[in-house]
Amino acid sequence: MEKDATLDTKGLMCPMPIVQLAKKVKEMRPGQVLELVADDVGAKEDVPAWCSRTGHQLVGSEQDGKILRFYIKVK
Amino acid sequence: MADKLSMVVSEGSFDKAMMPLILGTTAAAMGTEVHVFYTFFGTKLLTKGVKPKLPGMMRLFTGMFVGRMKKVGIPEYTEFVKQAMDMGVNFYACSTTMGLMGVQESDLMPGVKVLGAAAFLKLAGESNVSLFIG
Repeated sequence: MEKDATLDTKGLMCPMPIVQLAKKVKEMRPGQVLELVADDVGAKEDVPAWCSRTGHQLVGSEQDGKILRFYIKVK
Repeated sequence: MADKLSMVVSEGSFDKAMMPLILGTTAAAMGTEVHVFYTFFGTKLLTKGVKPKLPGMMRLFTGMFVGRMKKVGIPEYTEFVKQAMDMGVNFYACSTTMGLMGVQESDLMPGVKVLGAAAFLKLAGESNVSLFIG
């Protein structure tokens, strides 16, 4: 999937992936797509929940073993 | 209007110290306004240089917990409070228990506000989520 930036949070656990995600998105422009990479099992539900609360759009996600990839379009 | 989360922390142990920080930073990251009110033994958690320990015999394992949390990106307690403040989380010390616990305003970490019960209850009343951590 096309992306403008990547945030790798592998090794970090809740709440850090979400905390870093919120910071990263603030640095980006509306319409840009951020790829978030995580291996915290909690991220699977946390990232969609964060997106629905903040209004940033989750445009895709994939899982490769323990590695989760989310594609978030900045609001 | 923004969502609002309010929490009361009444215990001063490591676990009770970390929970409002984890929930608070997450909520702030979700665009929620966060208010945390520390009372009774919780008040000590807002003093400068505090190093909360796990409760009872578990206190001996606090260092191990801190180390494990560090490995997954969670900072040490005081640093985590600062990070939460930077994200806009509001920290309040209960004015009455400050007296009971012998905590002076000058003992509090910079950025902590002193609040009475009525003022906190007003914030709690405006919140969509209120949690008690004790």
